[in-house]
This record gives sequence, C-alpha cells and structure tokens, in this order.
Amino acid sequence: MMNEATSHIDYLIGEEKRLADIIRRVEVEPLLMSIVRAGAVSSVLFNEESLPLAEAGSEPDFGQWRRIEYSIKVEGEPKGLLRITGKPDDMSLAPMAILMRDAVQLVVTNNLKRMMTTELHTSIVQESYEQLAAANRSLVESEKRYRDLALSLEQKVEQRTAELQNAYARLLQQEKLAAVGSLAAGMAHEINNPIGFIKSNLSTFRVYLERFAEMLDFYRLLTSKGANPDQFKLMSENRWRSLKLDMVLGDASELLTQSLQGVERIAQIVADLKCFSHVDEKDHSDADLNVELERTMSVLVSQNATEGMFVRELQPLPLYACNPGLISQAFLGIFQNALQSRSEGLLIRVASRVEEGDIIIDIADNGCGIAPQNISRVFEPFFTTREVGLGTGMGLTVARETIIAAGGSIGIESRENEGTTVTIRFPSRTERNR
Amino acid sequence: MIEFDELNKKMVLKLVYYGPAMSGKTTNLMALHDLLNMEGRGELMLLDTREDRTIYFDLLPFFYVAPSGLRIKLKVYTVPGQVRHDATRKAVLQRADGVVFVADSQQSQMVVNSESFDNLERNMTMVGLSLERLPLVVQFNKRDLPDIVPEDEVRCAWRSTGLPVFMSCALKGQGVLETFSEVVGLTFDAVNARHGLTARFEVNRDDFLGTILRTSAANDGNIP
Repeated sequence: MMNEATSHIDYLIGEEKRLADIIRRVEVEPLLMSIVRAGAVSSVLFNEESLPLAEAGSEPDFGQWRRIEYSIKVEGEPKGLLRITGKPDDMSLAPMAILMRDAVQLVVTNNLKRMMTTELHTSIVQESYEQLAAANRSLVESEKRYRDLALSLEQKVEQRTAELQNAYARLLQQEKLAAVGSLAAGMAHEINNPIGFIKSNLSTFRVYLERFAEMLDFYRLLTSKGANPDQFKLMSENRWRSLKLDMVLGDASELLTQSLQGVERIAQIVADLKCFSHVDEKDHSDADLNVELERTMSVLVSQNATEGMFVRELQPLPLYACNPGLISQAFLGIFQNALQSRSEGLLIRVASRVEEGDIIIDIADNGCGIAPQNISRVFEPFFTTREVGLGTGMGLTVARETIIAAGGSIGIESRENEGTTVTIRFPSRTERNR
Repeated sequence: MIEFDELNKKMVLKLVYYGPAMSGKTTNLMALHDLLNMEGRGELMLLDTREDRTIYFDLLPFFYVAPSGLRIKLKVYTVPGQVRHDATRKAVLQRADGVVFVADSQQSQMVVNSESFDNLERNMTMVGLSLERLPLVVQFNKRDLPDIVPEDEVRCAWRSTGLPVFMSCALKGQGVLETFSEVVGLTFDAVNARHGLTARFEVNRDDFLGTILRTSAANDGNIP
C-alpha cells in the first residue's frame, strides 16, 4: 500500500519533453518508408542532438542528390529535423516532403496531446488515490483512538461505579449506626429518669433506716435497764414522736413502691429494646410483622411519640421470614419521617392486610406532604427538604434498602398539605420461592 | 518555474489563467494567439474539450532568446473552471510564475467569482505558492454584456488588494494584450529579481516584452 502510494513519478505540467519521449521509432518508420517506396532515396528523422531517431532507405555516399529539410516542432519549438533525400530530377520529391513533414508533425503533436492528457489524468488519479489513502489512514487511526478511549472509558466507568457503590454502602452503614445511636440516646434518657428517682428514694430510705435503728436501740436500752411499763411506754412514745416514725413508715413504703415501679419501667424498656433489636434472636426468623410494628411504635412512644398518635388497622398476617431487627429499623425510619411531618394534631394510620397472598403495610400520616417535584427523589441518598442539621436525607433511603434486601418493595404517595402514605409490600411465600 | 538549466542556458516559465467556468480563459488565449506575431510564439494547443468547455488545459507557448544565448520559454496555461476539476487546477497551478484571474463581469456571477478566487488562494497555498509574492493580475471580462457590475464598483472592491485590475472583452480581443502585458512584465520583474536575468544573462526587459508581445502586422491590437 505505502509503496504504491509513494512510488509514483512526480509529474509536473509543462515539463520539457524530448522528441524521443514523444514519438517512437516504430511509429515513424512506416511513414518514412512510404516516401522511400514512392521514389525518395532516404528519409531520416533526427533528434535534438542531430542523431537519427528513425530512418528509411540509405543515403548514398557519392553522386548528386537533392536534400529537403524541415524542422519538427514540439509546442511550437523546433526540436527535430526531417531530411528527405532524392534524385535531383524527381519533381514529386518536394510535395512529398511537405506531406511527410505534415504527417510527422501531426503524429508528434497528437502524441504530445495524448501524453499530456494521460499524464495529467494519471497524476489526478494518483492524487485522488493518495487523498483517499490518507483519509483512510486517519480514519483507521481515529477509529483506533476511539476504540481505545471507549475501552478505557468502560474501565473508568466500572471503577467509578465500584467506588460509588462502596461509598454508598458505607453511607448506608453509617446511617444505620446513626439511627442506632439516636435510638440509644433516647433509651439512655428513658432509663436515666427512673434511675434518678430510684437513687433519690434509696438515699432517703437510708436516712429512714437510721431512724428505725435508733428506735430499736432505744427499746433495747429501756429493756436492759428494767424500766417499769408506764415509764417504758412514756419514754418510747416520746422518742417515736421525736423521730417522726409515723410519717417515716408511711413514706418509706411509698418510696419502695415507687422505686419498684421505676425498676419495672427500666425492665420494660430493656425488654422493648431487646425485642426491637432482636439481640437475642437469630438473624433470620419467621416474624409477625404486626408485632414488629407494635414494637417499633412502643419504642417511639418511649421517645418522642404519644400513644394517641397511632391509629391501628392491623389485620392478622402470615409469618414472614426476614431479619426482624432490620425490618423494625426500616419501620422506625418511616415512622420518624412521619413524626416530623406535623408538629400538632399528627395522626399516623398504621394498616396491614393480605392481598393475593402478599403482605401490604401502609404507614400514612396527615402531615405536610411532599411537593410533586420532590416525590421521585425522596429515596435518593441525602435528599432532604429539612433545614441543614435536622435531617440527613438518608432515613427513607435506608428504609428502602432494607425492605428491598428483605425481598419486599416500597412505594410512596403524597399530596401536599394532606399527607403521605408509604406502602410496603412483601411477596407471598410461594412467589418469593419461585 | 518549470525549469532553469543554466548549463544549457534554458529557462521555462509558467503563467496560468485561472477563474470560474465560462469566464473566458480559453478565449483570452485564442485572442492572444490571433493578436500576437507567429515569430514569438508557438501553436495554441487545445486539449480535449467537452461541449466547448476545457476539461484538461490549453497551452500557448512563447519564446525568447537573449543576446547571451539564454533561451526563455514562457508557457501560458488555462485551467478548467468547473468546480469538479479542482485536482486539475491544482496540478496546472503547480510552480506557476504568474497568474491571471479572469472574472465574469455579469452581476449574476459575483458569488461564483469570489468562490473561484477563494479556490485560487487555497490552491496556491496548497501547492506552496506565496500569495504575497506571486505576480497576480485580475481581469474583469465580458464588458460587452448587459447587467454587468460597473467598473467603478469593481475597482473600488479590489482597491484594497492592490492587485492590477483590467477590463476586457476577450471575444473582441479588447483588454487581452493589456492584461497579458502586465502579467508578463510583473513575472519578468519577479524572475529578474531572483535570478538576475538582466545582470547575468543580458535580458533586456523591453526587449523581452517586445519580443513576446509583438503584434501581428495584419491587425494592430484588435481582431477585425
């Protein structure tokens, strides 16, 4: 290919040509021969250096001969010489020589025209070919470049996608930890409260216990001194009154009752927490999602919700194989979103039912709703309409990830200023196994 | 320059008549052929044409021999004007020593003229000719037709280029010699500056121009 393209002869229009380039011996000789046959002795065409290019007949060395010479022109410039030799008395020699000159000149001129045409044509074809070859080379190059680019692009996209997925997974994990953290903080507050008053009760009770001990010591002293019954009664009554033991006894009983209630409450919170996080259960178990909903609500009630907010429409559900702790966390995220939708008069309708074997759970609030332009974005990571610092934008994202990981699906419907309904669907057992 | 053989005292120069299709390039050469004396020139060679339109090129050679023996051959070419023959134009333009741009004066042809001139500039650059240095003469042909751009306008439009502009009617032989004389003179000056024609080869400018531009005795500048 390359050789073909570069091996051509550079042709320049206007290049000077020699007679021998234009006309070949075999082309002229028949012409020269014809005049010899017609009676001339010899007929010769000389080139630029006066050397014979073609000849017919032979010039005798001696005797009287008549020579007629004409120049043959190339592009109007005399280049060759035509010499006709004949007998001096040959009357037809001169007109024949003119005929011969015109014939040779015509061949030269026509040949020159043909050569110029052919050479130009060839050079144009050559140039077109080179242009095509060059265009082809650059196309091949650019194609290779694009192919390489596409290849590395694919790798880069894969790499970036993997990086993003890792970052996303880390974020989800962080968000889960944050949710657990905030839950733990709420729990700590709830437990701290009863512990505070139990501690204070017990301190008071210790003071009361000292008074009981003092009273008992006094009795023991009176008994050992052998006091008479009247004396005994009078002195012990006085001491009883000064120690205010009637009040202390009543109060002590009240303190213990209160403390026991506090302990009960702590026990309840811990039990809730254990159930909610399922720390003592296996990862997967058959769970009643109604129970998980109840647990989540009761955890919320111990934090920032009130029992009156929840309107239950729970129908019996089949057991669903999942990690109940994670599912509860997902519910928690959805509930917390609902809790932030309205400051007063909030109602959260929690409904569960079975539709064609699928478990359907609706968590609907009567809150501010979501603007139509935002509805498609609520599951996006970091999407939040709340002020900076008030929402991470990850609550619903984590919920969705969890539900999908558990084999379910999640959808959201909302009307601005009317409320939002989150619907969770878990497929029937048969469909899931399919 | 096609060839400069100092040893054999031979110089071959190239002039090119450029311009849009049908603007009268071949007609210019035919008029030159008719107007100028046979002694200074060769025959007009018209290569194959189709429907009276040049598809390769036309050639009219001129000869001059200096007292020093230097033979100067001046080959004058036309190019095919049709857009599709661009490769031929480029080939003919190669190593030109002077260019005549033949424009069509008709109002309707102004866009075609300017496209062709752009094409000339582009092709000159491509074949390595300098736009600033190469002698270039502009001819507005067909002045005898109606609906032509007035001479004032033409001159005004071309003034900024500094190029010599001639009005012509090549069919009647008018303006043809003036154009040719100008481009031959400019070309002589350019070649003289580079190769010292006068200093080294005793080529006299007037003698050179006079020989090449020797008009036929029969008609003195105009075709009857």
